[in-house]
Amino acid sequence: MTVTSVPSGAPIPGTAGQGQRLQLLRVLGPGHVWALGVGIVLVGEYMGWNFSVGKGGMIAGLVACWLAGLLYTCVAMIDSEVTSTVAAAGGQYAQAKHIVGPLMAFNVGLFLVMAYTMLEAANAITIGFLLDTVAGLQGHEGLNQQPFIILTVMFLAWLNYRGVLATLTFNLVITAIAFLAIIILFVAVQLGASAVPLEFSAVTTDPLPYGWLGIIAALHFGLWYYLGIEGTCQAAEEVRSPARSLPYGTMAGIMTLLIAATLTWYVCSGLIPWEYLGQAGTPLFDAARVTGSTPLMVLLFVGTIFSTLASANGCINDASRAWFSMGRDRYLPIWFGAVHPKYRTPYRSIVFLVPIALIFALGAPLDQVVTFSILSGLLGYTFMTFNMVMFRRKWPLGTIKRGYVHPFHPLPAILLLAICSATYFAVLLGYGSQLISMMCFYILASLWFHFWRYRFVRRGDQFTMPWPRPIGY
Amino acid sequence: MDFWNYLEYAAWVLIVLFGGHMLIDLARVDSTYDNDLLTSSREGEIERTQELHKL
Amino acid sequence: MAYQPPRQGLAAQIIDVAVLLVMTVGALYLPLYLGLAGAAKNPQPIDNPTWEALGQNAAEQAQWQALGITDPAAANDIITARFDYSFSWAALIIMAVLVIGYFVLVVRLSDKEYREVIDERFGGQ
Repeated sequence: MTVTSVPSGAPIPGTAGQGQRLQLLRVLGPGHVWALGVGIVLVGEYMGWNFSVGKGGMIAGLVACWLAGLLYTCVAMIDSEVTSTVAAAGGQYAQAKHIVGPLMAFNVGLFLVMAYTMLEAANAITIGFLLDTVAGLQGHEGLNQQPFIILTVMFLAWLNYRGVLATLTFNLVITAIAFLAIIILFVAVQLGASAVPLEFSAVTTDPLPYGWLGIIAALHFGLWYYLGIEGTCQAAEEVRSPARSLPYGTMAGIMTLLIAATLTWYVCSGLIPWEYLGQAGTPLFDAARVTGSTPLMVLLFVGTIFSTLASANGCINDASRAWFSMGRDRYLPIWFGAVHPKYRTPYRSIVFLVPIALIFALGAPLDQVVTFSILSGLLGYTFMTFNMVMFRRKWPLGTIKRGYVHPFHPLPAILLLAICSATYFAVLLGYGSQLISMMCFYILASLWFHFWRYRFVRRGDQFTMPWPRPIGY
Repeated sequence: MDFWNYLEYAAWVLIVLFGGHMLIDLARVDSTYDNDLLTSSREGEIERTQELHKL
Repeated sequence: MAYQPPRQGLAAQIIDVAVLLVMTVGALYLPLYLGLAGAAKNPQPIDNPTWEALGQNAAEQAQWQALGITDPAAANDIITARFDYSFSWAALIIMAVLVIGYFVLVVRLSDKEYREVIDERFGGQ
């Protein structure tokens, strides 16, 4: 097997002589991929994951953390193999287009845009909430959160508009600081910096307040520890060597998160009574408050702000890439498929998604937004299972060049499907109406696409990979 | 009026600046360049210029 | 002969986006309007709450205090709140049918479209 390098600028078969083309800029390295993946997700450690403790108790929270970690290890393995081969902006969207078909791709594109835009809205809401809390601690009651929520979305959209390298370098720095903050908190507590000792007696006295059902129920928010790590492959068209960088960045990301998630559970469960933890808005910040150490409080405040910013930033990046790719293929109006001539970003998609994010950030309750985001993510993971099986079937190993081949196929896919099914059940416990309403939405949207929108799509142009004909077609 | 009130006003000003810059730039780019050029990006094209998949 | 899609005018493009947006916002707000949103935790406060009656040991009491809650009565609701996990089998079946039906629908329609794509890209058999 050989890979021939052709100098960029050499004529491209079939496209020569058509004049100038605008492309996204290929400037990112593995570090940026790590920052994009972990940056989106790390906020899950700073808020949201602890609802899993509320849904099932401390032990259930830890089991959900590890089960979800297993789910995401499968996701990362599967995703790395497919992405290292299908390296195009839009990530899973482009995968679905080449492996399953156009309608699936449209749905996957919607999952991505919904999951990321909702997560972005949730982040903006959290920043408003945290500033309100701090203003309250300083004696200013009733802070108007709206300008800060809007500013968060607007500033990050502007950063994204101006170019991907600056955006993700910014992300790399603030993600690293937020991650270090968790490590420092853990080490400081181990060294006895806390005024109140770690206390785990609830693990033995009241291990499973809801019984075994609680563990499954906790899985719903257990996903929140890692949700969005698969976003790494959105940047495929802007990474310098996607076949190498994407698997490395994604795998390093999932390891970082497994460590951070376990440390977070340990420190928070030890320092905060589980009943409080289960409904806390900013658990790591609260843990720092319990230690009674002002430097730790400041550190974790900064960590919370940075992790939410990094997450919202990555979400804008990913949602706009997915929206842009759908526009480029005319799944959505072609107007969105534009690249900025100077900054080389999908600028129209970025601007368009700003008001959408604001509708959700200002108009909907947080748990609705979070559940919508989790459900869209979950549908995306379900898609990955049969996508992987079809990928290996249509192009068996050896027929095309894969940057990475994951071991034990099809075990990860089966495991992923099993955990996904359990999570659907977990969402049903309490959020069944959202689930049903969302399924209706995706079914309606699918019919709309198949019977109306698809007529504007060029058929053969959708398949862009230099692969042989798939087996069986 | 305290510190937090000023912060609110500062936030509103920044919103107008960032949002305004994006909108003005978008309008300027859209009126300067041909739409066909702006939407000329093709998926995977750059792949073929860098790596040719061969067995 | 390759399929030539019709050109879409600006107005039609805007309508398409609007349709999609209405569906999205509708799906989000529908459960809210129907009053079906969210799982509520129900507090079952006990009478004359003390830290001991609420099952909090000395270390946990210190933690509550560090969080700014010094009065057991204030923690009463938080500590005794529990979710209601009873669910109906009918809802479970509706969910299963919807999720599975949805994926079957999407994959089958996709496959139909995919064959056209492959034929056009690689030429007919």
